[in-house]
Amino acid sequence: MPRNKKTKNRNDVSVRPLFPAPVSGIASLLVPGLGQILNRQVGRGILIILSLTGIIALFISRMVALAPRLTGSQDIFLKAIGRRPFFLILVLLATIAAWLWTAWDAYRSAKLRRKSGAIGLFAAIIVAFFALGWQISEIDLGKMVTEAPKAWGPLSKVLWPWEAGITYKDQTVSADAKVLIGTEFPAPLPNEKKSKEPYLIVEPTRGELSRVSDSNQMIPGTVLHLSGGNFRPNTRTEIWWIDPIGNEFQPREGGKYVSVTTDAAGAFETSFAMPYQLVPPSAKGPQYDTAEARQVSRSGPPLPSDALKLTVARMVETIMMGMMATFFGILFSIPIAFLASRNIMSGSWVTMAIYFLTRTILNIVRSIEPLIWALIAVVWVGLGPFAGIIALTLHSVAALGKLYSEAIEGIDHGPIEAIQATGAGRLQTIMYAVIPQMISPFISFSIYRWDINVRMSTIIGVVGGGGIGFILFQYIRLLQYREAGIAVWFIAITVAILDYVSAEIRNRLL
Amino acid sequence: MLEITNLTKVYDDGTRALEEVSFSVKEGEFLVVIGLSGSGKSTLLRCINRLIEPTSGKIMWDGEDVTAADSTALRKVRRRIGMIFQHFNLVRRSSVLTNVMAGRLGYVNTWPTLLHRFPREDRERAVHALKRVGLTEQSNKRASELSGGQQQRVGIARALMQEPSIILADEPVASLDPVLAHTILGYLEQLNRDEGMTIICSLHYLDLVQRYATQVIGLRAGRLVYQGSREDIRNMTDEQFKEIYGEEAVRVATGPLTGEQQKDGE
Repeated sequence: MPRNKKTKNRNDVSVRPLFPAPVSGIASLLVPGLGQILNRQVGRGILIILSLTGIIALFISRMVALAPRLTGSQDIFLKAIGRRPFFLILVLLATIAAWLWTAWDAYRSAKLRRKSGAIGLFAAIIVAFFALGWQISEIDLGKMVTEAPKAWGPLSKVLWPWEAGITYKDQTVSADAKVLIGTEFPAPLPNEKKSKEPYLIVEPTRGELSRVSDSNQMIPGTVLHLSGGNFRPNTRTEIWWIDPIGNEFQPREGGKYVSVTTDAAGAFETSFAMPYQLVPPSAKGPQYDTAEARQVSRSGPPLPSDALKLTVARMVETIMMGMMATFFGILFSIPIAFLASRNIMSGSWVTMAIYFLTRTILNIVRSIEPLIWALIAVVWVGLGPFAGIIALTLHSVAALGKLYSEAIEGIDHGPIEAIQATGAGRLQTIMYAVIPQMISPFISFSIYRWDINVRMSTIIGVVGGGGIGFILFQYIRLLQYREAGIAVWFIAITVAILDYVSAEIRNRLL
Repeated sequence: MLEITNLTKVYDDGTRALEEVSFSVKEGEFLVVIGLSGSGKSTLLRCINRLIEPTSGKIMWDGEDVTAADSTALRKVRRRIGMIFQHFNLVRRSSVLTNVMAGRLGYVNTWPTLLHRFPREDRERAVHALKRVGLTEQSNKRASELSGGQQQRVGIARALMQEPSIILADEPVASLDPVLAHTILGYLEQLNRDEGMTIICSLHYLDLVQRYATQVIGLRAGRLVYQGSREDIRNMTDEQFKEIYGEEAVRVATGPLTGEQQKDGE
């Protein structure tokens, strides 16, 4: 064929069909890819068979998933098409196109006796896989828009969480008065007015608590009249109730907490029924409850909140975890790196066996993610940063062992020979010829690893490995988005600083 | 006087790099070893200071048996034999000065040198050696920042620090252009002439051999196939040359001896 001779590319490889062209075409129409195999294009034939089988299997399983509880194949098909018409029809069309194209390709290749490009065939297969992938991974771009307003609340808290980062000291002004429960014992004396200090007078000083009757009706207790003075003027004042063993709560009147606002002189008057409260049957002797009027106000300079302090402490823990894991990783990986260096271990079959064994172990350990190692370490040593350190150390040893051993394999023997030729001893040779060659990759890889370890340790807490990830995960689950936001901010800042610092160190040293 | 008797080297993989090689070098000679690559030149040079352990044979240097030396004695032998290399073999990341100072490692105490501490007179010696090869300005640069010719001069300065009686030069100019080749060999010739150092140098180009050698040996497949004086090499014919280098050998018509070469070639 003259065109064949003119151009020389892969498509010009001649096809040697076993049967006439129509046979190949029909074969591929019956079993897609069979025609190609008959054309002795085995690789292409198998690829087509596997792709189309995969597409059809996924297509059917997807339809079944879309039509649960239906059994008839026609019902399933109609229901599934009804639910996701566009995607399923697209997949169907692409599959049919690919199928027909396969037959056409087999026929044409056999007839022309050369490989055809068949870009359209593979495009159809890719389209079908893409549409299926879109379906199976539940991509829903609409959701991104419709759900956005809901996300804004938590998201805005995460983006600017600092409100939760500060707190103020509470300053409390309070006064209390005793109230005796029941009528068996004599009533205590009421408080007296004081000239300077806040005071609270309750009348009467003895009464019955609210009760619930047998028919579930609330029977209000004795109405107490409270009057107080010498409080801060024009300030909301809460009324609290404290039982004989010190449990306190705010009584409610009509569903609202009882509170009152002081007048310009700092005095107030209010009244409420004694609250519902169980007195344990074992209580003996007079039971005194306490009514308290309390004014709480924030005072003093802004202080870091508990969440902020916890986040900082955990961040420090995180960085330290990364540091310790890197330190131990370097420590253990240096000797291992020598065992994993081909040039060092090529002496005998014993050392080569050690070399292969070390390499294999390193590869296995490295292929398991630190998060998985952390899960194992948590079982081993319990929750906390130590488990995280073990996980990160294991992974670091494996990663650094490989990198270091490659650095060792890459060293130039020439300088070693030259230093030996000067009459230098073994230690001097190591110091003057080996170490200078290894120092820069060692430092570079170690810093790189430190970087990775700190990043990793921010997340390893999610599985209980200590560090900031633990509280971040907890805050998110408790829907405390501001506190979570603080943790996110700290992680981002730390990682950014670390990135910059490690890049700087590397630039300066190397 | 360096006497080499029946030197044989068989590598672990069975390669017979040297086969019963015997020759002697008087003090103050400029001995050039010629031969194809793979003929055993590098192995021969490395056997002399035992960077490579000879399989059998004897190396006698001024009455001392180098092949029998234990590690302490070997250190003393090695420090009096300077060595320069085709690929310079400098520690590229270290400074020029550190590379040169390394030449003293065979003389000084081990422990201080591990902290890069050297006696003051050695530092002065290094400054002097760098001055001699014209690299005073470059002493604080990293070796990798230097050009090829400069790196080889650092190599020479390192060898000079050893105050050697012999300098082994393994293809010292093979990685350099012809002009630089003459500069480097010029340094070696100067050391040979002015300080009476014995030079044992492997070279590729006959022109350079004819220009610098006072004594020549030729190796082919690990065997000594040629031994000649300065006069012999100057009158060397293409037939002899081809015996060493094999049929594919071609002369490189450069260098100052072009005229003579043409006469030889006719």
